[in-house]
Amino acid sequence: MNNLLSVENLTMKFGGLTAIDDLSFDAKNNQITSIIGPNGAGKTTVFNCLTGFYKPTNGQMFLHKEDSKISLRKYTDFKIAYVAKVARTFQNIRLFPAMSVLENLLVAQHNELMVASGYSLFGLLNLKTYRDKEQLAVDKAKYWLDIIGLTHRADDNAGDLPYGDQRKLEIVRAMCIEPRLLCLDEPAAGLNPKESAELNKLLKFIKTEKQTGILLIEHDMSVVMGISDHVVVLNYGKKIFEGTADQTKNSKEVIEAYLGADE
Amino acid sequence: MEKKDIIQSFKDSLFTGLIALALFGPIVGLRTASKGEGLFITPQWGIVFLLVGLCILGRFLINLNSARKTEITFFSKFTSKFSAITEDKAKHFAITAILFAVVFPFLPFTDRYFMDVAIMILTYIMLGWGLNIVVGLAGLLDLGYVAFYAVGAYSYALIATTFGWSFWICLPLAGVFAAFFGILLGFPVLRLRGDYLAIVTLGFGEIIRIILINWYEVTNGPDGITGIPRPSFFGLPFKRSPDEGETSFHLFFNLEYSTMHRIIFLYYLILVLALITNYFTLKIRKLPVGRAWEALREDEIACKSLGVNPTNTKLTAFAIGAMFGGFAGSFFATRQAFISPESFTFIESAIIVAIVVLGGMGSQTGVVLASIFLIGITEMFRDLEQYRMIAFGGAMVLIMVFKPKGILANRKPTILMHGDKK
Repeated sequence: MNNLLSVENLTMKFGGLTAIDDLSFDAKNNQITSIIGPNGAGKTTVFNCLTGFYKPTNGQMFLHKEDSKISLRKYTDFKIAYVAKVARTFQNIRLFPAMSVLENLLVAQHNELMVASGYSLFGLLNLKTYRDKEQLAVDKAKYWLDIIGLTHRADDNAGDLPYGDQRKLEIVRAMCIEPRLLCLDEPAAGLNPKESAELNKLLKFIKTEKQTGILLIEHDMSVVMGISDHVVVLNYGKKIFEGTADQTKNSKEVIEAYLGADE
Repeated sequence: MEKKDIIQSFKDSLFTGLIALALFGPIVGLRTASKGEGLFITPQWGIVFLLVGLCILGRFLINLNSARKTEITFFSKFTSKFSAITEDKAKHFAITAILFAVVFPFLPFTDRYFMDVAIMILTYIMLGWGLNIVVGLAGLLDLGYVAFYAVGAYSYALIATTFGWSFWICLPLAGVFAAFFGILLGFPVLRLRGDYLAIVTLGFGEIIRIILINWYEVTNGPDGITGIPRPSFFGLPFKRSPDEGETSFHLFFNLEYSTMHRIIFLYYLILVLALITNYFTLKIRKLPVGRAWEALREDEIACKSLGVNPTNTKLTAFAIGAMFGGFAGSFFATRQAFISPESFTFIESAIIVAIVVLGGMGSQTGVVLASIFLIGITEMFRDLEQYRMIAFGGAMVLIMVFKPKGILANRKPTILMHGDKK
């Protein structure tokens, strides 16, 4: 199994506060790697470094391709998604609420469609090449909507969907950019047990069928323990444990971090 | 309704009256008049009490209405019915409106005054549609839109008076210049949003105006530019007695000379320009770049996470919005034949933003209705001279009270998976 992502000595400081302290871990292809830890452990900061929202103080992050590797530090902002193909979702859902579900999925395919529309020129002339490409994009959106069972609501505003459906929509929207690494920030937050189970199914599907590596931040242990291949535990910005889900459950350090040590 | 509610709203109305008294008292109540030598204050309490009474009554009625929990006033009933019509039969409504606009100059009651007002309304509609791209679609609050209008007008005026090129060459050039200024404004404000963006664009509008006043060698300063060439009908000028070797419009078509010919031509010119703006906006909204604009308005961070380049997206919005402002500007210059910096003050920007916001952000039909409503009402009260701005303000307050989201605030998806169900 090949490495997909290697994080090496990642450090992020905000003034005097060290949010991430010398963190190193790997994530493999076709695996779900979970990052867990108590609140304020620096999990979301790791994501923000990986996805170009923060520039790390120190350290390297590499995304491996077949025989080459690219440094994620070089890309900032939108290029992480556009060039490096790292997609993410957010802790507080960030859909385009006043746009329809289908439009949300088409914005995710913006760059291909932009080229297809000849940077709007072919589109304005209504050429067939563009219309065909647009149809392909709609088909791709329909494919994902079929999977999460939202096809019948494709023309409704994304903001009108129930909370659980919005979570799923945000994940498939990220999948529409065909990422190599998908970073999910607490996808199960606020979901009921039935919805969590559906989410597990969706993530397993993405992992096996789409050959996409998934990096997961989650507090819901039923999700973490149910689907993670690999678990990284953070506390105060430091890695305190790394291993499989079962090993993590029984680790003394992890239990101490969550529940406190015996005096 | 309970008695308690009535007493509560009555108290609230009295408080409103108190504020109104504090405002109107010194502003309206004390009038300075010059008698003989020096200024004297003449109090006019009658009108103050009238205004305060109106405020109390108005507030009381609004309170009564909202206490009923259901909107049953005539105005909101009328507008919701209207939005229902424009929604269901959007196409029919648009075609009827365009047909009416086309035959308007030949209707029996149409005279010179009506034509002038219609041209003015159409100019604002075009500006509103242009700004709608920036404010309504891309969500970038631009309070300096009049700057692009000015750039368009001055580019046209300077090129036409210096090189003597025809309107049809100068028009696209003016658009290009305005678009260039749009990008120029776009760069420094890329990182700004909301209030901060509004302040900077406001400053930009003023900078352009002040440059126009002070760069005397080029813009002729506050004196403005005179003798801007009028547009010709495909080479046929609208003159009573054409120059040697020229044929004028009325001679070519064997018509009696009339100044109305030129007015009607200008009317159709701005109608076509406005319709082009509308067509372009409706088209581009359905293209990837249009969807990216709206996505940017909804959530910029989510856009970045999906690989949408926010810089390019914002700059195209600024450039295209500015381009239409420039077109409208050159039309303004050719219609007036005289421009000066006075025509491009902040109040113009404010009116255009008001049209877009009151029409319902992003709604093309809303812009039309808001333009007719705001400009039309202001024109109707022209006899009141300076007080007509009260009518303008009153119209804005009415819309905000009864339609807080704008006259037409319904957005339709740009693409449908299941087709139109209706």
